Amino acid sequence: MNEIIQSSLSLLWPELTLTVTFILTLFSQFALRKAPMHSGYVALAGFLLAFLLLGTQGGSDASVFGVMLAVDPFAVFFKYLIIISGILVLGFSLQSEEIRNNAEHAGEYFAFLTSMTLGMFLMAGASNLLMMYLSIELVSLSSYVLSGYLRNVERSNEAALKYVIFGAVSSGLMLYGISLIYGLTGALDIYSMRDVLATGAVMPGSWAFATLVAAVILIIGGFGYKISAVPFHYWTPDVYEGAPITITAYLSVASKAAGFAIMIRFFKVAFLNTVSADGAWEVLAGMNWELIIAVISVLTMTLGNLVALWQDNLKRMLAYSSIAHAGYMLMGLVVATDNGIAAIMVYFVMYLIMNLGAFYVVMVVAQKTGSEDIDDYRGLAYRAPWVAGAMAIFLVSLTGLPPTAGFIGKLWIFAAVLSKPGFVWLAIIGVINSVISLYYYARVFRNMYLRQGDEEKAQPILFGSRTIAGSLIFAVPTIVFGLYFGPILEWAKNSVTLFLR
Amino acid sequence: MELTDIIFYIFALVTIGSAMIVVFSRNLVYSAFSLMFTFLGVAGLYVLLLADFLAVTQLMIYVGGILVLMIFGVMLTHRVVNVEISSGAMRVIPATIVVGVFLGTLLLVLTRTKWMVMEGSPDVIGTTSMIGTALVTDYLLPFEVSGVVLLVAIVAAAFMARKR
Amino acid sequence: MLSINYYLILSAVLFTIGVVGVLTRRNAILIFMCIELMLNSVNLTLVAFSAYLGNVEGQVLVFFVMAVAAAEAAVGLAIVLALFRNHVTVNLDEINILKW
Repeated sequence: MNEIIQSSLSLLWPELTLTVTFILTLFSQFALRKAPMHSGYVALAGFLLAFLLLGTQGGSDASVFGVMLAVDPFAVFFKYLIIISGILVLGFSLQSEEIRNNAEHAGEYFAFLTSMTLGMFLMAGASNLLMMYLSIELVSLSSYVLSGYLRNVERSNEAALKYVIFGAVSSGLMLYGISLIYGLTGALDIYSMRDVLATGAVMPGSWAFATLVAAVILIIGGFGYKISAVPFHYWTPDVYEGAPITITAYLSVASKAAGFAIMIRFFKVAFLNTVSADGAWEVLAGMNWELIIAVISVLTMTLGNLVALWQDNLKRMLAYSSIAHAGYMLMGLVVATDNGIAAIMVYFVMYLIMNLGAFYVVMVVAQKTGSEDIDDYRGLAYRAPWVAGAMAIFLVSLTGLPPTAGFIGKLWIFAAVLSKPGFVWLAIIGVINSVISLYYYARVFRNMYLRQGDEEKAQPILFGSRTIAGSLIFAVPTIVFGLYFGPILEWAKNSVTLFLR
Repeated sequence: MELTDIIFYIFALVTIGSAMIVVFSRNLVYSAFSLMFTFLGVAGLYVLLLADFLAVTQLMIYVGGILVLMIFGVMLTHRVVNVEISSGAMRVIPATIVVGVFLGTLLLVLTRTKWMVMEGSPDVIGTTSMIGTALVTDYLLPFEVSGVVLLVAIVAAAFMARKR
Repeated sequence: MLSINYYLILSAVLFTIGVVGVLTRRNAILIFMCIELMLNSVNLTLVAFSAYLGNVEGQVLVFFVMAVAAAEAAVGLAIVLALFRNHVTVNLDEINILKW
């Protein structure tokens, strides 16, 4: 037993670091009563250390603590995405007025951010249904309280309440599905699940197969809630609008990434027979879940884009836009090939940059003008040229036009979809949706560049050099990765390996 | 009809009956108290299923912890002026659809499946030592992670519920 | 012993009662009670499978579900309390600043 613990822990340095950071950040607020925001620097140090220690996990392809947690290139890729967005969001939070106004509890804010990141790391590697449930709950609990962090603001309370109710119901549905799978296979880890299914104990066409389908649909309820897929997306607009904007940004990128990681791992490992030479998955007989996910993908893309059209609040519009982006990414899962998964991973890298950038601009503009309404962005190009220019780049990238990162992301997803016969209709729906999305992204662009605000709102806004540098940190890679994306593609292709026992 | 069957029906009736009262009662305090009977019914069913440790844990955590918390919540959030604690109207149509489709599908699928049940009846042994051993060998990581989950919950609840 | 179907039917009915409660009632605390009903039905399913399959893993999962359910109830009720302080209502129909 000792050897198992020692060998397992030696592969889990980042997780251990985050746990220690969580406790240190929590207690640092007692030492830092005069300057409570400085507990954010404690968290930042911990995150940077975890980022460096992720290097110790690179190259492993193993399972720790029995088969509880997998440490493989796939998990490491997503952990890099999560920790990088965590570090960036920590940077936002240290600049954010919403957090500074509630600074006495900043220690708790940064501690919950750390525990949320720890949960997401565990989600990325979880290979036992119990571990999946626990890690999802760790992330969810931290997110509930973080979205309600602004306790004096009504919409923040309301966001937290709706989030809790919806999250608890979804995890209840997921648990019922897990219990049915336990009944069918007698085990909780996905490797045993695959072994039992491979012996043919659950034949397609039998009632046991119908129970399996019911169980998988219920579990999709839990995963779908995490990635905001339709019809489990109801919490997203309210929570994104009511929560502090730093939390919205983090949820939209990192939480979604962790949700996708866990979903891909579940579907690939539990139902896989072999992987053929060109990367296509051969699933066990009869387990054609691709259709279910295709339907969810289409619904998600379409609903996200259509409802975004009549939003007036930019935060809410970005919420619906992120729902739509999850729909595009699900297309990569539908085709059930390694190329599709690599395409999702590339998309996530691009999505991280452009989405975090967009939220950063919304944050700084809201801090200076006090408004998040799209109408109040009129004339921004003349009032703050650098920031508006960055936002313009992000909008173009979110639509998916060249030469930006968003275009490359969509290109690879469509390439993966078209490389497998029979899914042309899915790609067509994706393109139509991108065209629809052009309208609402262009509305912001038009307001910034082609409209003038009223007199009192036409004064130039002076943004500090730190803010401008911050927006450039996101804007420049958005263009650069749109032109030079080779290394990212290589990294994604090399990280598709999942630990398969 | 064996004695255990009769006991099963009694506990099942208690559980379902009080669950119905929880959902359909107009008075919030009645709902809270019948929730206690639901928990007791489930604890009795655990004993019938030879899960002794879980039956006691159910009583301690659910009745002794969560239910008390719920009643605190009810008492702290009703308007002081109202004597009757009412909880609003109900919408019938979504309820019927859910009952019809969801429950119908589940019942159909669950009863027809041939589960891999073991032969004969299980030995009546205590489960406590088995669960305890599992928690510190196979399930060590979830055990530690749930420690972190509980810590987050404590700090979060204390943070959210404090006065300004 | 009874066949396992009795327990499965019972827990499916309990789960559905919980779901109906969540969908139709408007008081936030009552919705939490219905969520606890759902989680209890899941626990019952797991214990039933554990007994009839001869496996203790189901009961270990129930142990963790109970712990997390308690944590979730605590955080949820704390949020309800914070909301009540700001609004003096916990009726979901009256709390609706965030629309479509």
